[in-house]
Amino acid sequence: MTPPNAPRSAPPAEVATAAPAGGAAPRLRRSTRFGLRPAEWALVAAIVVAVLLTGLVDSNHSYFRLPWQSLTDILRNTALLGIFALGATVVIIAGGIDLSSGSMIALSGTIAATTMLALAPKEIMAFKAVGPVVVGVGVLAALVTGFLVGTLHTWLITAVRLPPFIATLATLVGLRSFARALCESCTHAVVGTKSAQINVSDPIFKAIRDNVWIPVAVFALLALFTWLLLTRTVLGRHIHALGGNEQAARLAGIRTENVKWFAYCFGAMTAALAGLFYVANESVAAPVNQGRGHELNAIAAAVVGGCSLSGGVGTVPGTVLGAIFLRVVIDAVSKIIKTGADVYEGLIVGVVVVIAVTFSQLGALAKGGTRLLPGALGLCAIPTLALLAGAIAAMTAGRDAGIATGIGALFLLGLLRVWESRRSAT
Amino acid sequence: MTTSPFAVRMLGITKRFPGVVALDDVTLEVRAGEIHAICGENGAGKSTLMKILSGVYQPDAGVLEVDGRDTRFTGTRDAERAGIAIIHQELALVEDLPVAANVFLGRERRGALGLLDDRSMAQECAALFSQLDCAVDPGDRTGNLRVGDQQLVEIAKALSLDASIVVMDEPTSALTEAESARLERTIQRLVAQGTTILYISHKMDEVFRLADRITVLRDGRHVKTVDTTATTPREITGWMVGRDIAGHDLHGSRPRGEKLLEVRGLSLPWPEHPRGYRLKEISFDLHAGEIVGIAGLMGAGRTELLEVLFGAGEDTWSGTIELRGEPVRFRHPREACAARVAMVTEDRKRLGLFPDLDVAGNVSLCSLHEALRLGFVSRAAEEQLAAGPVREMGVKTPGLHAAITGLSGGNQQKCIIGRWLLTEPEVLLLDDPTRGIDVGAKAELYSLIDGLCRQGLGVILTSSELPELLRLADRILVLAEGRLTAEFSRAEATEARIMEAATAG
Repeated sequence: MTPPNAPRSAPPAEVATAAPAGGAAPRLRRSTRFGLRPAEWALVAAIVVAVLLTGLVDSNHSYFRLPWQSLTDILRNTALLGIFALGATVVIIAGGIDLSSGSMIALSGTIAATTMLALAPKEIMAFKAVGPVVVGVGVLAALVTGFLVGTLHTWLITAVRLPPFIATLATLVGLRSFARALCESCTHAVVGTKSAQINVSDPIFKAIRDNVWIPVAVFALLALFTWLLLTRTVLGRHIHALGGNEQAARLAGIRTENVKWFAYCFGAMTAALAGLFYVANESVAAPVNQGRGHELNAIAAAVVGGCSLSGGVGTVPGTVLGAIFLRVVIDAVSKIIKTGADVYEGLIVGVVVVIAVTFSQLGALAKGGTRLLPGALGLCAIPTLALLAGAIAAMTAGRDAGIATGIGALFLLGLLRVWESRRSAT
Repeated sequence: MTTSPFAVRMLGITKRFPGVVALDDVTLEVRAGEIHAICGENGAGKSTLMKILSGVYQPDAGVLEVDGRDTRFTGTRDAERAGIAIIHQELALVEDLPVAANVFLGRERRGALGLLDDRSMAQECAALFSQLDCAVDPGDRTGNLRVGDQQLVEIAKALSLDASIVVMDEPTSALTEAESARLERTIQRLVAQGTTILYISHKMDEVFRLADRITVLRDGRHVKTVDTTATTPREITGWMVGRDIAGHDLHGSRPRGEKLLEVRGLSLPWPEHPRGYRLKEISFDLHAGEIVGIAGLMGAGRTELLEVLFGAGEDTWSGTIELRGEPVRFRHPREACAARVAMVTEDRKRLGLFPDLDVAGNVSLCSLHEALRLGFVSRAAEEQLAAGPVREMGVKTPGLHAAITGLSGGNQQKCIIGRWLLTEPEVLLLDDPTRGIDVGAKAELYSLIDGLCRQGLGVILTSSELPELLRLADRILVLAEGRLTAEFSRAEATEARIMEAATAG
């Protein structure tokens, strides 16, 4: 096919001289410092501040007294969240969304457990070791399931042409139910009684539970892999291109459906991997509750880390920092209020997402382009926010603190409103 | 009606944005009841000036008089109240709403119980359309209308505001010649009713047909305001770019090489349409070193033809395409790339640019595999790859890692052409490559395309502007409603003959 005179993009001299200016194209400095963008450095600072504040405010000062245990907790939780947050990041950069990862976690654990149950029913029921081969088969089955779910998503999105939100909403609801049904019918078939959970006590899983460095190392390796993939491979560039402009990507000769296939399989398989660590951590595969709602934590970590839900934008360091920040803040609240902290986990994630995204827009707000509390909406938002702050403070720190916080918030927001009005009047 | 001979006077208007002076002491005087054209390259300040007139921006210095009264707009509502309506280049319509709802958007009529009074809105809307002499049903979904009709919806909106001054920002850039002609009649009717028109356009023939006076802006400064009868298009474009643009033809002298592409009996069905086909029985050849121009009105099938050649269409087609004597049937652009066919799409923003990738990323995208070192993309190799076309085509950019969205339209287009040149194509398909690009950049693109052709590429070029085809192409094919109605050699082709073939049923 190649002709002998194939031109190599060298227009003739008169073209080159037709536009003399700016041809040299000097290298523009990238806006990163030691590999991180300014917003990512802000996240690093926020993590440090959150850790120091917690160490001081926490009446047990457990960060100073038991630094190793605190670190272990945060690392384990971060790794478990981070592993599938990386998957969410790839899907989001590719311009999609995967709402199903929480259910995929449950399904992955169930598949691994039922596979092991089928291969070694006596050992499983007697809480005994099943051996590395059986564990290996279970793990493999879980990961293959991740691939199958990713394939299902891509098929629904590219062939049936469902919007990604709808396709993965369907599997979010469907897969958990499927996992539970599978768990019950497998236990019924093997043991004779239905059960909605299967205990997993193999020493390999126990070792994973007791050695925090294993999930952390897996997370670190996966992060490195994902970072290389997104920044240093053709596929990674195509993922960015697909998320930035899908039609243009197709017209540039990119097999967009294959890129999507990879992205959704990566998303589902990282969730499957995380599901195995969930099982190890809790020594049980429990499809009803395991990972429930955690898909939103993964998306939150990606968004806090700078991913744009419209696609094309996002980084691995951002998501890693976003996951660390989320877990640090959740841990901080549990340290400060001691009991019942898991009740507030969703609230914390919500607040962190709002604050992180607002923070990224502070520049525009400070320049006066937009107002935070405009018009009647702003007036109504002031008591709404004050009430919310007061209620949270009252529940966690007592009635008086709640009232003080509420009044303080009302006063501060009122001041902000007055300042904004003054500024826009001049 | 007016007390002042001037409908609008903008005196000594200055507007600064961070880092740039968009307008520097600009004066614009528009007489009541005239059609006043504003010409200038992209970035000359036309749009900024119009945004000040319509209240979007406030000037940093200068005086704005409407009907002889000193005025200060603090928002677009103020301008609407003063009778100024603006029809933006990018139409601001809600596609999913019916036409009448768009005309009254934000000013809905309400009847008893405060419920929407759709009937009175539809009636008034129908009255407005009959005034405009067009048959748009107020109940139609706006997105189903053709672009030309959507523009009439905007004009109806302006009329419903009782606007005495209507600003039109490049209204014909997306219109067919027939729609443009209808728009011109509409404009003339509005003027007969006493409306003042401010008309922004790149197209000299339109400006000279319509306008009473022309104001030329360059680099945010006022260059000249002249009566149309006292000037020539050549003089205006000269003022716009600040230098004389060589308008010589670029065809004819190129040596024609071997046959690259042979298309025979190409048909593309269109099942859900009464016509039944998008393309029917198209046959033509393309040789190396040749530019074949494709003329045709919008909807004639120009883009569909190129998409079939590039394997980008969704539907299956019949007929044969031979590339260098071998039959090909591309099912995905990937396969076309592999066979050294490249396509620069129309509508750069929607189909060509990757706004989140930098200049280097946009240029290197299709040949990134050449920048692999040990399986990984090497930054240095990628920069080297992208630097070639950026330097050779004279892309004006602050650097290889600058945001592509910060470049002017012409430079963005050069980057996209550069992206395809890196794939070393033999056949280059250019779908309306100079749309929305200013005069100076167009001239650069013309000589670029000519240069590529001289190196032995076969180029197929479509354009919505006939002079462009006449200037560049060796042969011109004319499409009308999916059929090839004429093929002219350069010597035979004239605008009149092409138009005649393009409107043939």
